Amino acid sequence: MSIDWITVLAQIANFLVLLWLLKRFLYRPILDGIDAREAEIARRMADAEQAQQHAKAAESQYIEQRAKIVSEHDALLKEALAATESKRDALLAQARSTLQQEQKDWRKHLEYERQVFNARLQQTGAEALLKLTRKALHELADATLEEAIVRHIGRQLQPMAAELIQASAGSQYAQVTTRDALPVSTQQLLQEEVQKWLPQVRLSFATDAQQAPGLIMQVGGAQVSWTTDSYMDGLAELLTQQAANSAAVRLRSDER
Amino acid sequence: MQLSPDQTIVFTLGSWPVSATIVNTWIVMVLLVGISMLVTRNLRADKAPGRWRSALELIVTMIQGQIEEVTRSGARHVLYFAGTLFLFIAVSNLLTVIPGFAPPTSSLSTTVALTLSVLVAIPLFGIVNGGVRQYLHKFIEPSPIMLPFNIIGEFSRGVSLAIRLYGNVMSGAVIAAILLSIAPFFFPVVMDMLGLLTGFIQAYIFAILATVYISSAMAEIPVKTSEKDKKHD
Repeated sequence: MSIDWITVLAQIANFLVLLWLLKRFLYRPILDGIDAREAEIARRMADAEQAQQHAKAAESQYIEQRAKIVSEHDALLKEALAATESKRDALLAQARSTLQQEQKDWRKHLEYERQVFNARLQQTGAEALLKLTRKALHELADATLEEAIVRHIGRQLQPMAAELIQASAGSQYAQVTTRDALPVSTQQLLQEEVQKWLPQVRLSFATDAQQAPGLIMQVGGAQVSWTTDSYMDGLAELLTQQAANSAAVRLRSDER
Repeated sequence: MQLSPDQTIVFTLGSWPVSATIVNTWIVMVLLVGISMLVTRNLRADKAPGRWRSALELIVTMIQGQIEEVTRSGARHVLYFAGTLFLFIAVSNLLTVIPGFAPPTSSLSTTVALTLSVLVAIPLFGIVNGGVRQYLHKFIEPSPIMLPFNIIGEFSRGVSLAIRLYGNVMSGAVIAAILLSIAPFFFPVVMDMLGLLTGFIQAYIFAILATVYISSAMAEIPVKTSEKDKKHD
């Protein structure tokens, strides 16, 4: 066991060299690397924290915007619903008005049709009535319709003579109106009948195509007549009543 | 039987004989520095460390942790000194397992050199950290009467350090050599394994004692910041 002082000095030098080399190539790089990595981790954590804060801010902003959009959507929906209801009410009112107008027009049209029908019925019925009456008189009494009318007028004149004289106010003319021209024999027969009760009155004959079949005699302000109007009015009233009954029954069945 | 590698002259450099102690020290140095250079080149903070770098980081941080426990501060210059002591002694003792390799630490010259380094480092660290006056003031504490005892104690630390390391390493090598001659097949292996453990323990003890002595020299000094440590580096 001996100490070689040259070796001691050499080993001290070796140790110092090793100390410097390890400091240069081991400790500093390793410790600086650890420090740098810690700094990098801290920086990344700070970045992550910042990113998380940004994400939270974005999330809250998104939630806020979503709530706002939902609110706007609800408001728009309400507005649209209100507009739709208003539009629906307007359309319903318009439809009701249109329907009422159409019903009114339909009723007018129905009334017009009824009137046309009645007119045609009256005309056709009157012609049929005249034809049948004329035929019945001819077959049963061997008389014409005009003669029968004249006799009927003559029977009316008797109770009305005083009234007619007063109505004539001294006039010597009376106007006899028919739809078709009366035969001369009938005119003379009527003149004779009138002469019985109103001797001073002379008859003048005229035709009116619009007049109902029959005879109207105008004496001053008084009038004596026989036409098919009264018969046709009765017939039209009867038919109208029956048509109204049928319409009511149909309406009830439609409502069911 | 040669008890010290100092007696083995490998080659002569001029008139200066280069012993196995110095050559083996160079081998240890090349090994330590070479591995360090290979591992720590192209270090980047944004890349994950590899297994070799992780191993070196583990070793360095373990040494740093031990030093921090002793000194209560993270002084880097103490790490450089004590860490180099530990790594050099530990690697030297580890290489005992290589047949024919005489560890430099089995040479009393090496252990004396390391001890002298520690003995010089202790006042240096104390003076650098607290100044000459404060360092010298510690020798007359608690009383000026204690001055000779403190000086003797300071030197006896070095002597004990040197003798302890040399004795343990040399004795381990000697025992292995004796057992190799008596029972060459089984006991040398066991003793080498024991020698590895002992070598590590001796490296730890030497480094930790050096750290304790240095920290005692720095004990009155307030804890330094790492910025100041770097400046000292």
